[in-house]
Amino acid sequence: MPLTLAEMGIPQVIKKIGGKDETKRFLEKLGFAAGGEVTVVSEISGNMIVSVKEARIAISKAMASRILV
Amino acid sequence: MSIRIALAGNPNSGKTTLFNALTGSNQFVGNWPGVTVEKKEGKLKSDRSITITDLPGIYSLSPYTLEEVVARNYLLEERPDVILNIIDGTNLERNLFLTTQLAELGIPVVVAVNMMDVVLKNGDKIDTAKLGKRLGCKVFEISALKGTGIAEAVQGALDAAKTAGNFRPVHSFSAKVEQFLTAVSAKLPEHLPEEQRRFYSIKLFERDEKIMAALKVEEIEEIILAAEKEMDDDAESIITAERYHYIGDILKNCYWKKNRGGLTVSDKIDRVVTNRWLALPIFAAVMFLVYFVSVSTVGTYATDWANDGVFGDGWHLFGIGSAEMAEASEAFEAGTLTEEPDPADFGVWVPGIPVVVGGVLESINCAEWLQGLVVDGVIGGVGAVLGFVPQMLVLFFFLAFLEACGYMARIAFIMDRIFRKFGLSGKSFIPMLIGTGCGVPGIMASRTIENDRDRKMTIMTTTFIPCGAKLPIIALIAGALFGGAAWVAPSAYFVGIAAIIVSGVILKKTRLFAGDPAPFVMELPAYHMPTLSGVLRSMWERGSSFVKKAGTIILLSAIVIWFLSNFGFANGSFGMVEDLSDGLLADIGSAIAVLFAPLGWGNWQSAVAAVTGLVAKENVVATFGQLYGFAEVAEDGAEVWGTLAASFTPVAAYSFLVFNLLCAPCFAAIGAIKREMNSAKWTWFAIGYQTLFAYLISFCVYQIGSAVTGTASFGIGTALAAAAVLGILFMLFRPQKQLKKWKLETAAE
Repeated sequence: MPLTLAEMGIPQVIKKIGGKDETKRFLEKLGFAAGGEVTVVSEISGNMIVSVKEARIAISKAMASRILV
Repeated sequence: MSIRIALAGNPNSGKTTLFNALTGSNQFVGNWPGVTVEKKEGKLKSDRSITITDLPGIYSLSPYTLEEVVARNYLLEERPDVILNIIDGTNLERNLFLTTQLAELGIPVVVAVNMMDVVLKNGDKIDTAKLGKRLGCKVFEISALKGTGIAEAVQGALDAAKTAGNFRPVHSFSAKVEQFLTAVSAKLPEHLPEEQRRFYSIKLFERDEKIMAALKVEEIEEIILAAEKEMDDDAESIITAERYHYIGDILKNCYWKKNRGGLTVSDKIDRVVTNRWLALPIFAAVMFLVYFVSVSTVGTYATDWANDGVFGDGWHLFGIGSAEMAEASEAFEAGTLTEEPDPADFGVWVPGIPVVVGGVLESINCAEWLQGLVVDGVIGGVGAVLGFVPQMLVLFFFLAFLEACGYMARIAFIMDRIFRKFGLSGKSFIPMLIGTGCGVPGIMASRTIENDRDRKMTIMTTTFIPCGAKLPIIALIAGALFGGAAWVAPSAYFVGIAAIIVSGVILKKTRLFAGDPAPFVMELPAYHMPTLSGVLRSMWERGSSFVKKAGTIILLSAIVIWFLSNFGFANGSFGMVEDLSDGLLADIGSAIAVLFAPLGWGNWQSAVAAVTGLVAKENVVATFGQLYGFAEVAEDGAEVWGTLAASFTPVAAYSFLVFNLLCAPCFAAIGAIKREMNSAKWTWFAIGYQTLFAYLISFCVYQIGSAVTGTASFGIGTALAAAAVLGILFMLFRPQKQLKKWKLETAAE
């Protein structure tokens, strides 16, 4: 399922990052790599703050929906 | 021998703090990713022959962001002797990602694990010796903030610099990927040095456009396609995944985390502060507090003291004597005292600068015109601006605090969704917020916006928001023409916000600002208690640059305006004039007044007032006062209401108000625009756009307003105004062409 549907505070394992563009590769470099863990910390109308590899990263809803967990 | 050390690392990993510690310089450090946009150079404090370059914070060596391009070009083209890679010990895995890339460059790398004090406090453990062995480079534990371990790390870097040319990346990826990389490597040109071949083979495999263009290696596309087919992913992602695998392997048995996966204190704060329901109320409360304290209470008190005391008549030291003076004043007004009391007779009276300087000049029999220039022109003009310094310092203090503790980054996150709708990012909100107090710090606050287009657009639109100095103009117009109607002031803010939104949308659709907007991804720093010295330093850095500006551009303009208004042709000869309407400024005003006639206020006084408003917006009211023959007017100019009401129609007055709210800001703000744009061309573009926009809107307000209210009949002006409105609407709603990517993104939302 996309990260947008993930429950807050529960660590999820990243299965795949959708798409084949720069955005995908940028997300991967920020630590959103398949097999890694990601936890939703907070969410405001789709935009979310997630915890990945010890960093807190704010991403828009569009980007969150491309992270499959 | 001079050695060049490059500091590289992730954003917010402490590079700039380390740079300051090593070079003894005072570069600004913020708890905000992207503080360093350009590289900075300094000399090592203990050995001046060693150059240290602070590169911008980067996540990788792919040229994805401006920072990455700057850092990568430096490393590839300048090839420093050694790279000191700062990594955040509390986020080891992600930070090592860059390390694996740096190690491929063939430049010796030394790793400094920063924030070791926090790592230890969290109960985590890093076996740096083992880590170093596996990475193939020396690893040091440091705390840049506390200054521990940095001498050792620098010594380690200097030792490593001697091995230049012999440094080989040690890591390897999975056998399958290595096979493809070897195939690519075989196609590399012969002349590439051995130690750099690894970097170039990986970059070619990733289809890095710049490297491909530089090397012009052929026949590798088949290798890449074969690899992509076999592993069902794009080449760059394959490499990224390999790196994380590799890092995972390295960290086994040399990194232990105490609380794996648990929420940190920072996360718990975010749970509340960026909560879907509480985020906006909390944000509003914080902003109200900041604004209230810096503008209404402490700030105003300090500003009044600066304006009326230091740059006015004088003040009672520590308030001694103020109470007695107040009593005496009451007694005088009640008629029990025959002579008006002088505040200097009570308590400890410190005379203001104009009084002191005026006294000195008078005692040495200085020429009258020179006295006027110094006291009214220079001290009056510069003082009016410097008077805002205390208020600004208070505001800067709070902003520095919000920035350092980590909340500022969250504001951008909270506001992003709203701002994105009209082409600005959430990060644009902060400059506009500060702009309600004063546009100068507002414009300066735009520096925290990393994206170049967003930053330029924010700089151009920030001063549309009515600043503190524009409030007297609003009060004047509201009082003189609208009977003090309560809707005038809020409408001014509404006009400002509408101008920002309209400009945002229009500009985003022009070629200058079109293109892929940076996707909203932003690393948020962990919350932490800022140090007082850090907050004060940041406050001082911003405040002092404003004071410097007041000393140059404002000083100069104050002198020019004073000369122009006080000198002119009167009674057939050139000289100092008694009546300002004989001054050169009045002549200039009359000449340009014709320009403003279509806006409804073509008299020379209004034109001059608008021009003096460029020095400082509060001058507009004072100028009206002088030009209509009142020596001194109250802040809202109550004395000239009658005269104004006679020479303006309400629609023309509103047009005048709109023009002064939106047109080019005061010189101080223009100076700030120049500084932040760092380009004369962009500065002119910004103030040109603002003035043109102001002119058009005022024109529409007056022409259409007059036609509607019946003070003028429909005519050419009305038709032109209607055309202008249609033009603006077209610019607002015309379809976007080059923004396919953006469309995709919004469609997904």
